[in-house]
Amino acid sequence: MIRFDNVAYRYGDGEGGISNVNLRVEKGELLAVIGPSGSGKSTLLKLLAGFMEPQSGSIWIDGKDVSGVAARHRDLGIVFQSYALFPHMTVLENVAYPLRLRGVDRAERAERAIKALGEVGLSSAADRLPATLSGGQQQRVALARALVYQPKALLLDEPLSALDASLRTEMRDLITHVQRTAQIATIHVTHDQEEALSMADRIAVVHRGEILQVASPKDLYDKPFNATVAAFVGKANLWVGDVVSSACVRTEFGDITCDASDWVAGDRVNVMVRPEAIIPLTGDQNPKHAANCFDGTLVQDRFLGAVRRYDLSIAGSVITGETGDRGSLSRISIPSDSVRLLPLQDD
Amino acid sequence: MIGLPKRALIWLALPATVFLFAFFILPLIFVAADSFSGGGSAYGRVVSDPVFWAGLKGSFVIGLAAPLFSLVVGYFVSLHLASKSERIRTLLMFGISLPLTFSGLIVAYGFILTFGRAGFVTSLLAEIGADPAVIGGFIFSPLGLGFTYSYYLIPRVVMVLLPPLVNFDYAQINAAKSMGASGFRAHLDILLPQLIPGFISAFCLTSAVAFGAYGTALALVGTQVNILPLVLYSKISETGSDLPAASAISVILMAICILITALAETVSARKSRTTSRRKVIVA
Repeated sequence: MIRFDNVAYRYGDGEGGISNVNLRVEKGELLAVIGPSGSGKSTLLKLLAGFMEPQSGSIWIDGKDVSGVAARHRDLGIVFQSYALFPHMTVLENVAYPLRLRGVDRAERAERAIKALGEVGLSSAADRLPATLSGGQQQRVALARALVYQPKALLLDEPLSALDASLRTEMRDLITHVQRTAQIATIHVTHDQEEALSMADRIAVVHRGEILQVASPKDLYDKPFNATVAAFVGKANLWVGDVVSSACVRTEFGDITCDASDWVAGDRVNVMVRPEAIIPLTGDQNPKHAANCFDGTLVQDRFLGAVRRYDLSIAGSVITGETGDRGSLSRISIPSDSVRLLPLQDD
Repeated sequence: MIGLPKRALIWLALPATVFLFAFFILPLIFVAADSFSGGGSAYGRVVSDPVFWAGLKGSFVIGLAAPLFSLVVGYFVSLHLASKSERIRTLLMFGISLPLTFSGLIVAYGFILTFGRAGFVTSLLAEIGADPAVIGGFIFSPLGLGFTYSYYLIPRVVMVLLPPLVNFDYAQINAAKSMGASGFRAHLDILLPQLIPGFISAFCLTSAVAFGAYGTALALVGTQVNILPLVLYSKISETGSDLPAASAISVILMAICILITALAETVSARKSRTTSRRKVIVA
């Protein structure tokens, strides 16, 4: 189990770092940490790994405060963004290296390394040098090497960022499978929200060194804490609106009927609607049965294969929607239960 | 490659080719021919002369000791430079490369003024009780000669070792540490083995320079220390000069230096082939 208690670290130039981070990762749980570049997610990982020391607060691994404990004594498995495989060692030697450091005898470490390579489907490449492997294979070696000595926790530092899209999907499934099998507490740092949504048990969103929200992927997507989280996790329409009543909010392009019972009339809010929730209306549909209908002009139409992402201009505002329908578009409906009101942010 | 026709490129290479031919190939041919002028008897005289063997031994000692010392110092200097920002590194490299612009004679006189019997450092050390005769005599010994050579060998080592150190992925060191290695063990197991081609390359390069160095040695020790370049000098300057024997020593000296340089080239060529293959696969 991993715990961050009020951990803070600021860099000398005042730019970057993290402030008052509180986190908890249980045994067997995969927590993804996401955020834009420079948000502090890598700092968080370095502090946990022991490559840097927190300026305040404490980090706990399996019930032990590891402040001041050197990286080599923290017993963590790390998969680096660059994989950090040792190019002068064979795949087997790479995976066996942590066992060699632990004084495991030659026969046992070869056996355990082969087993670890088997778990990532790479036992046939044991005698090859890392340079002769593809990116995906190197990734597998790095994963096997990080897990072979059964560390207390697994840290993944943007491990899939160097892979192409199709391989990324395959590796996501492999990492999740291996992590679940090992039942190991895992922190996965990434800037790829899709990766986080598909792999994690919970996701922590980091922004400007602070954790904005920690929630399950579904909750994070459906109930973002604020507009920053909503904008970072998935695509979102965000408009500024004024609460008119407990069932209505006024936006620049018109009134939207929705549940505003948590707000009082006059409150300024961010109105969030996910693009896929917006329903395009074709001529033969009866708009009387549809809520929040708006007419507009199609200004952007992007064919993405399975879906089509469009921008409809309505009274000077732009509404982005997604649909599988390939017909003409000029009228949409926003279902009331898809509207979420979020606190208005200054920035 | 630079947008010029092949014929223009040949013309551009012509001055360097003429220069190489006139000042290296041609003299080499003359020297080699001269060494065989008596039907190869000059080689017989050289190998039967104990002074030649003493000179060869002395050259091997200097060609081994000076590069080794330079390699150790140069490695730590490179390690330090690699940790600096590019701007600071460029500035420091300028200072480090400066010794390469001085001739061997200037270096020798500089060392005499600094470490000689009346040298600045010798006088300072004498103030705290060191014997000026011992301290001041050091640079006139074979080891002192090697120490002086390192003045212009260390920059050469730095120039060879710095690029691989700058390009090294230090995440590997962090990876080793996270697996349980101490900093020292991580360097020993991970960094040093990857620098071996650089070490061999730097060693051969500096060894060839130390083997063939002449000006510094002559200015510092005259013909008091037996090394091959000074044995060669004695064959053409002293009474009873033996030009064919001098030519034979030249050829031997040249062959040794070329062998050492060829070894360095082979190592670096193999290294670059491995690197380029790696890049292709990763891409």
